[in-house]
Amino acid sequence: MFSPQAQKEISYGFPSLIAQWKNTIITTTSTTKATHNTSNSWKTPCLNVKFQDLYDFAVEGNIDDVNVLNEVSERVRQQAKVWWALEESKGANWYLQPQISSNGEGISVASLKLSVLTNTISLRKLIRKGIPPTLRPKVWLSVSGAAKKRSTVPESYYEDLILATHGKVTPSTRQIDHDLPRTFPTHPWLDTPEGQATLRRVLVGYSFRDSEVGYCQGLNYVAALLLLVMKTEEDAFWMLAVLLENVLVNDCYTDNLSGCHVEQRVFKDLLVKKCPRIAAHLEVMGFDVSLVVTEWFLCLFSKCLPSETTMRVWDVLFNEGAKVLFQVALAIFKMKEEELLTAHQIGDAINILQTASHHLYDPDELLTVCFDKIGSLTTNAITKQRKKQEPTVLAELDQRLRRLNSVKLNDEQ
Amino acid sequence: MATIGNNNINAKLVLLGDMGAGKSSLVLRFVKGQFLEFQESTIGAAFFSQTLALNDATVKFEIWDTAGQERYHSLAPMYYRGAAAAIIVYDITSKDSFEKAKKWVLELQKQGNPSMVTALAGNKADLEDKRKVTLEEARAYADENGLFFMETSAKTAVNVNDIFYEIARRLPRAQPAQNPAGMVLSNTPAEQSKASACCS
Ligand SMILES: Nc1nc2c(ncn2[C@@H]2O[C@H](COP(=O)(O)OP(=O)(O)O)[C@@H](O)[C@H]2O)c(=O)[nH]1
Ligand SMILES: [Mg+2]
Repeated sequence: MFSPQAQKEISYGFPSLIAQWKNTIITTTSTTKATHNTSNSWKTPCLNVKFQDLYDFAVEGNIDDVNVLNEVSERVRQQAKVWWALEESKGANWYLQPQISSNGEGISVASLKLSVLTNTISLRKLIRKGIPPTLRPKVWLSVSGAAKKRSTVPESYYEDLILATHGKVTPSTRQIDHDLPRTFPTHPWLDTPEGQATLRRVLVGYSFRDSEVGYCQGLNYVAALLLLVMKTEEDAFWMLAVLLENVLVNDCYTDNLSGCHVEQRVFKDLLVKKCPRIAAHLEVMGFDVSLVVTEWFLCLFSKCLPSETTMRVWDVLFNEGAKVLFQVALAIFKMKEEELLTAHQIGDAINILQTASHHLYDPDELLTVCFDKIGSLTTNAITKQRKKQEPTVLAELDQRLRRLNSVKLNDEQ
Repeated sequence: MATIGNNNINAKLVLLGDMGAGKSSLVLRFVKGQFLEFQESTIGAAFFSQTLALNDATVKFEIWDTAGQERYHSLAPMYYRGAAAAIIVYDITSKDSFEKAKKWVLELQKQGNPSMVTALAGNKADLEDKRKVTLEEARAYADENGLFFMETSAKTAVNVNDIFYEIARRLPRAQPAQNPAGMVLSNTPAEQSKASACCS
């Protein structure tokens, strides 16, 4: 159902990045690292070039961005070697071992537990350094619990689900159809009828699986990227399911997005704690950071970060959980601290954040700040904060609805 | 809230209205002078800024182009909170979008700030043959509710700049004593007034 050609281009084999660049301006200079000298020799130092990134997204950047992407793809190759070496020494699928937290089936021996623990720790380190794109589908399915989720239903579950959706029109399907041509419309595969039909099946299928979520805008971007990584729609479907049902906070996408409101409040408290100078400055400016951060959370950074950087965030998301979303968001603010402190208008602050996130071509730069400069952040702490914020959010949402209803009543009188 | 300094006015402006009414197209036309059939869909709201020079002032708009299905409406207060102006957009070929526009008007009246400059835009005016909402009906509604009203077309650009200029003209002007000449534009006055006008 999924085009094999599209797949090959998307991530497999990882041909040299340079070969994928379609822009002729840079082909001659890009193989040698453009040093400061060469860029100085350009008449316009900030010459913009268009090229395609690792997941075939059209990117427009300057020669420095190109160099960064070049280095990143080299690092990806090195990292792949590490993973392959591990497969050789520890056995293929070594990371597929049950996690300690699982129900214990088959791990009765204490020594095995210990080796599982060591594996868990080294796996975390390894995953924070990036999963090679070729291994992503397998590793994501395993560490996220998606494979396990799938194993609890009959083999034909997905096929049956899709069959059951045939010819059905619901508010969700209408919204999905509206959004399909607007989902990364410049991506070469998503812009094809086949790409859109595949994305449609995944989204419609999920809307039938969970009628409470149904379809929520934002999931189109998430599912599209899942497809580009997972390469088979059924795998993408299960990743979407595990994401919404196990990885993210509840009710992120349902009803009135209450889960998303909760995350925003938790984030604002964290910003005050972890980046007090920025928080204080933005407060004086009257800048509500949710204006920018809401989209980051709802689209899991897929609309604001370059694709490989987003994938690196998702590597950690699926292995460690939703706390990484907070860490990444904090890191973006942290990286722009000095600039943000000199901003005096909301518009400037927004531009600083948006420009910064769009240009984070180096995932390691972001993740280093994320894990080394933000200070530790545990899932437990996040859970506690969510519990604290939830009643306030629900009260606020309820208050708004009641005000609106009273509006209606007045109107009818 | 409009931030006032000399003749520089910073104004937050929010666009509200039914999906497909043409909010994003109006903004794109105003900010970039373009019209596109398929734009990438917005999650929550998209931000733009655009400066207009009037005879007596320069107005810098911070524009929030809101988007999204029903459940996204719960985010709307974040975008209209502290706004100096709002454009509520409907599609003249859709009765339903006009009804949705009325709901937004009511929501703003109920929780917005009373000095907000509110405009009603009947968009897609180029589609005269598909018209479902008459000019008279909309104008009467706008008059009743103290909105200023224009029919626009993001496609042909008719009245698009005009509606933004008209909003700019209606924004409150600086009181000369408030900001002595030569002073760097400061956000403090806005901050103070915001605290009192902000709905919570
Ligand atoms: N004919 C016509 N079409 C328009 C006009 N404005 C927007 N559209 C089209 O209406 C559709 C929805 O517009 P969009 O700006 O995305 O609406 P939004 O959901 O309110 O942001 C798009 O296909 C636009 O091309 C207009 O003035 N005239
Ligand atoms: Mg829009």
